[in-house]
Amino acid sequence: MSTDSGNGEKKNFVITRFDPDTDEVPKTQEYEIPIQSDWKVLDAINFIKDEIDPTISHRWSCRMAVCGSCGMMVDGEPKLTCKTALSDYGDTVTIEPLANFPVIRDLVVEIEGFMEKFKRVKPWVILAKEQAADGPPKSERGTYVQSPAELAEFKQFSMCINCMLCYSACPVVANEAEFLGPAAIALGHRYNLDSRDHGQDERNEIFRDEGTVFSCSFANECSEVCPKNVDPAAAVNQAKFGAVIDWATGFIVPRGAGNAPEREEE
Amino acid sequence: MAGPAHPNAMAPAKPGRTRTAPPQMPATWWSHPRIRTYLLFGSTGAVYLLLGLFALRVVWALGSGPEAWNAAIAELESPLYIAFHGLGLASVIFVGVRFFGFFPKAQPSRIGPAKPPPPPVILAMLYLAWIGVTILFVAILAGGLF
Amino acid sequence: MREFLLRVEPVIWLLFGQGLLIGTMLLTGWILIVGIAVPLHLDLVAPEALAFERAHALASNPVGRLVLGALIVLPLWKGAHHLRHLSIDFRGAERDLWLAPILYGIATVASLAGILAVVRL
Repeated sequence: MSTDSGNGEKKNFVITRFDPDTDEVPKTQEYEIPIQSDWKVLDAINFIKDEIDPTISHRWSCRMAVCGSCGMMVDGEPKLTCKTALSDYGDTVTIEPLANFPVIRDLVVEIEGFMEKFKRVKPWVILAKEQAADGPPKSERGTYVQSPAELAEFKQFSMCINCMLCYSACPVVANEAEFLGPAAIALGHRYNLDSRDHGQDERNEIFRDEGTVFSCSFANECSEVCPKNVDPAAAVNQAKFGAVIDWATGFIVPRGAGNAPEREEE
Repeated sequence: MAGPAHPNAMAPAKPGRTRTAPPQMPATWWSHPRIRTYLLFGSTGAVYLLLGLFALRVVWALGSGPEAWNAAIAELESPLYIAFHGLGLASVIFVGVRFFGFFPKAQPSRIGPAKPPPPPVILAMLYLAWIGVTILFVAILAGGLF
Repeated sequence: MREFLLRVEPVIWLLFGQGLLIGTMLLTGWILIVGIAVPLHLDLVAPEALAFERAHALASNPVGRLVLGALIVLPLWKGAHHLRHLSIDFRGAERDLWLAPILYGIATVASLAGILAVVRL
């Protein structure tokens, strides 16, 4: 990329470094580099890696805020660095790995815990027991026909790009290791709202189990930082309502009567 | 960073192949204006708890006869009680405004075939109910009704 | 303890939510008159509006008992639940195992006392 910024503007970047082979604890390293006025934070980090310090490690991919790879803390707030303009910041910019996650190296965090929480909410269409033999309902227009209105019910909550900014913003994630967290609950809720799905009973039981949705204290920070306007806070709090209804009706209707048998774990 | 998060925050079930640095909370966590508002919202819990306990005290006195009742009313005249109830008033208004703002988006998208009204309508209904209940209650307690 | 707290969570959340909704609405009028206007002898309040006979007659009416009961019980649960979450926000996951029972215990005992208070009017 061109390094000619025209007016010779420079910024100072304070970046967290951590190499598990040589460092006891993370430390910071400062880089002063020339910047261009239209750069995003990711451009600056890539410049540092390309031109100054190739040892710095960070995740990024699409450069257009759809892959969710480049999440980091910029001046203490979780951001997608490909979408965050440098011009919004002062002469010194602090870049740290995503909060509330274990750090593998430099700006790269361990995401396996996130993947595990995701899987727990069963983010797939679950058939009803009656459908187990013949599969999902078919019509002459195809399988799983869904109207635009039915799609609209859950579409907002399907827009999540798994960037994990919401986990960095959430005070409950920071303090309760078991909490399922905004994105996982929003995804589970997305399936609960999907007209093709019959897994509400199973998911609502998970929502009330370890990692319960009721741990959410409605700080709303997750929705504030979400780059895709998924509004996970709305999903989680709607999910609380759904879980309570499920809990209450559980006293009237026996459990587990309605769903197809579990498929085998791979 | 503002300090350590829970040591197992977002930890995988089995550790990865290399040693990881422990999770940290965001740097501006305690000083961010939105977070301060949120923590203030939570701390109104103390005010509500006391308001409930003081209301219990008053109603208990009412059930104990005229002397106890008059004593309780007189006790409420202490500056400390009045100051607390001033704080209480500020707290319930703060809580109401913040909570009502969140209420519409926390509603399920449908209950059976019924859909909730659009958010501005829900908000208007909430505030009307709040104001209406307050006026009615004030009118009754202040002697204007019944 | 964690298992028990998970099991009761839906009930507590319902009480907490009503504390936020109904509790807030009821408390506003209550505080305005009983907490502020009466102690300050403001002109807003008719003289003898809360004299014992009238106060007792209003309160012992079935609607009165219900309203006063809600006024006592619901804010207690809103308060206990919010304080519990506030504690968790301050690195309180361990502390929660003993603090939650204390907070909910206070709310439970005071709620029972509140029900008794409106029954014995």
